[in-house]
Amino acid sequence: MALSSTAEAKDARIARGLRESDLELLTSLVERCQHRLVRYLVYLTGRREYADDLAQETWIRVLQRGSSYNGRQRFDPWLFAIARNLAIDYLRQKGKAGQNASLANDRDAVLQLPSSGPSPFEAAARSEDAIRLANRLQVLSPLHREALLLRFQEDLSLHEIAKVVGAPVTTVSSRIYRGLAELRSAFEEK
Amino acid sequence: MDSDKRFRELIDRSFTGEISERERQLIQAHIRDCDDCKHYIELTARTIRGLREFAFAAGLESHVRVRDILAHHTATMRQHNVRLKVRSAFVLTLSMSLVGSLIACWGARLLAVHTHFGIAQVQAGVLVFWLLPSVCAALSTLVAPGENRGIA
Repeated sequence: MALSSTAEAKDARIARGLRESDLELLTSLVERCQHRLVRYLVYLTGRREYADDLAQETWIRVLQRGSSYNGRQRFDPWLFAIARNLAIDYLRQKGKAGQNASLANDRDAVLQLPSSGPSPFEAAARSEDAIRLANRLQVLSPLHREALLLRFQEDLSLHEIAKVVGAPVTTVSSRIYRGLAELRSAFEEK
Repeated sequence: MDSDKRFRELIDRSFTGEISERERQLIQAHIRDCDDCKHYIELTARTIRGLREFAFAAGLESHVRVRDILAHHTATMRQHNVRLKVRSAFVLTLSMSLVGSLIACWGARLLAVHTHFGIAQVQAGVLVFWLLPSVCAALSTLVAPGENRGIA
């Protein structure tokens, strides 16, 4: 209870700071969230080289739209939702969307397009198990990757993830289970 | 087999925090006798642990760049806000000046009927003692120094 009220007070302070474009607060948020934001963007786009630019754009958007954050929800899901929208718009602008007319109606579809280039996961793997998972992660659907990251690394609740990705909670659960099943097979094979 | 499938679904839900305490106890009781489901739990736990062992560290350079960009944008936004404030104050003061002058002129005309002043004299009085000073006040909001000049 005390922890929850402390977290609420912290989010309210963030909301106030964002309304006032408090640079000191923004700097502390960058220090706290930048590496997580980059990680989320890598999971979402499957490309390391997009992540830094997109993270930068996300912070500018946070500054510009700070007044729309009311402090009643946690800051992190709000931040990820902004990053997600920017990533989708960015990938569309990259011209990938132009190759497929059906993408116009489905924002998530642009994330599903295969990414070329080296896997960012192999380079980031820090253990034997992570190395085994890296190949699976690269071929896993970004929507499944995203759900797994938000649940097991960011510790977001299913409802918070649903808000970030703009999908029902049941869809989020299903993405997590399917993603886990895909990754689990990395340890099942000999 | 069906029972195992059901338990695996329950196990999956346990990893997303979607089960009740009673369901958790059911799983515990089941895995005492079922090695396959026990192995399934261990594999899932291992997968989740493995997921936490990726590090995409954003370099210090990236932090510094973002900080610089935010500082620049904050300064630009502040300048923009000050300009907006000054223009709003000018427009507001000018409108008050014109409306006030019209009301003063209309009131003075009514009074002029009962006094020995002519209409032209009343209009000149309003121009000199009301309209000109208030227009000057409006203009001063534009030229006053400092960030708060719009409030002048």
